[in-house]
Amino acid sequence: MRQAEVTWQMGINWDALAARRDRVRQWRNILITRLFGSVGLLTTLLVIGLITTIAYKGAQTLSWEFLTQPPREGMSAGGIGPMIQGSILLMLGTLLLVVPLGVFGGICLAEYGEHSRIMRLMHASVAALAGTPPIVYGLFGLAIFVLKFGLGVSVLAGWFTLTLFSLPVIALTTEAALKAVPQELVDGGLALGLSRWQTLWRIALPYALPNILTGIILSLSRAAGEATPVLFTASIYYSSAQTAFGLESLRQPVANLPYYLAEGYRQPGVVPEHLIWGACLTLIIFVLLLNFSAILVRSRARRRYR
Amino acid sequence: MIATATRTHTTVAVETIDLSVSYGDKPALKSVTMPFYRNAVTALIGPSGCGKSTLLRCLNRMNERIPDARISGKVLIDGQDIYDRRVNLTALRRKVGMVFQKPNPFPMSIFENVALGPRLHYGLRGRALHEVVEKALRQAALWDEVKDELRKSALALSGGQQQRLCIARMLAVQPQILLMDEPCSALDPISTQKIEELIRTLSEQYTVILVTHNLQQALRISHYTAFLMDGELIEWGETHCLFERPQRQETEDYLMGRFG
Repeated sequence: MRQAEVTWQMGINWDALAARRDRVRQWRNILITRLFGSVGLLTTLLVIGLITTIAYKGAQTLSWEFLTQPPREGMSAGGIGPMIQGSILLMLGTLLLVVPLGVFGGICLAEYGEHSRIMRLMHASVAALAGTPPIVYGLFGLAIFVLKFGLGVSVLAGWFTLTLFSLPVIALTTEAALKAVPQELVDGGLALGLSRWQTLWRIALPYALPNILTGIILSLSRAAGEATPVLFTASIYYSSAQTAFGLESLRQPVANLPYYLAEGYRQPGVVPEHLIWGACLTLIIFVLLLNFSAILVRSRARRRYR
Repeated sequence: MIATATRTHTTVAVETIDLSVSYGDKPALKSVTMPFYRNAVTALIGPSGCGKSTLLRCLNRMNERIPDARISGKVLIDGQDIYDRRVNLTALRRKVGMVFQKPNPFPMSIFENVALGPRLHYGLRGRALHEVVEKALRQAALWDEVKDELRKSALALSGGQQQRLCIARMLAVQPQILLMDEPCSALDPISTQKIEELIRTLSEQYTVILVTHNLQQALRISHYTAFLMDGELIEWGETHCLFERPQRQETEDYLMGRFG
């Protein structure tokens, strides 16, 4: 089969045409690269600027005494020990409550999510909850846990409110992590005769674990920095005693870093500015540490078998 | 051609009767009736989309995972219809193992990959489990290569080793029937040759059903070959008979490379 000879000349200078397009393309590339580069640089500079400002203003306050001692002289001196301990107490309880709930919720969404209308509705609701402003959780916690259940402004009410606040994000990241498990692996498990739950437990969950852990830590680090969920539910501002870690103290309100910052700034003249900056830096370090541990956990879990 | 002609296979291990599958409105398999003999390799060949993988995946009920798949007809394994309501899916898949086109080791150690099945199915632990893992790896001709690094991630193995690991993983739950869905199509020629030798050895103990795109492979390692096209079983028979004297025009055209 011989093809008829085709002439491509058509009286056109093809090379010149292409060269012109090439020039336009090159200019456009340079332009776009610079645009994205400068916007990215601006973002990075903003964050770095923010952190260095806080570090600069807060650094001289930071000391072992500041981090461990309670405030003295009507909050105008001393440290923020009770606030740090309170924040840790709030986070620990929230962690214990939210991890099982969030992970099981995410499993539920991932396993039953596709076929039933109810589950699609559930998914949409959880996604909406994840975007609900924290103050709404705070008010909900006040209405339900503090007043309705009669828990009062207390650590317990704070735990429950923070749990609700972190739950949607953890459920959604768990769901996404499980859905990202390659179908071949699930098929491999099923073909081996494993049941659906054995496949989930033995194959899908371990595979998804790094991402689930990342979601948990990031969600908690966000909760650690939010003042409004605990504003009406768990917080006390004036605290000259160390935070107690006993059972009876769970019914008491507790001092914590974000609330200390909000209230300390709102009442000028009481808390000196250098203490506020110091607490601000402490909170940022607290949250950054949580974020770094998320990165560490993920890379370690990934390195294990991937 | 190997010992194909000298061996006779009389017992039927698997039999499909009037087996049809459709995905939504699209028929994928049209009324296929054929036997698969015990301790023989049966190759399924045909152009892409002809239904050979669908047929294979019917034999351990993996097609049920596809949401709009509809299956009718029967698949008899040792005389029992596996689509019967009373059939235990776990027991079925323990008896009918499967290897996929792309090696899919689990993201765990080599040992754990093989140990998972026997541990969950038979509750094996300790020495007994080790013994089973070693046996399976030996049978899959992988033991000598991995015996010193059983704790290493399975994902660090080469593609060919991964596929043999998947075969070991399947053998460790002691199946009787092995389904292989183009097990060599993602592998280099040397790994392919190793797997082919392995399949030949395995066929002395197991019933092997192999989907392949590679006609030479079917000719080299299978005792029986079935040719499918557009979801229909065009013809099947002893491999050398089918290759040398195809009964149907379509088969001859396909074998001569006139389509697909």
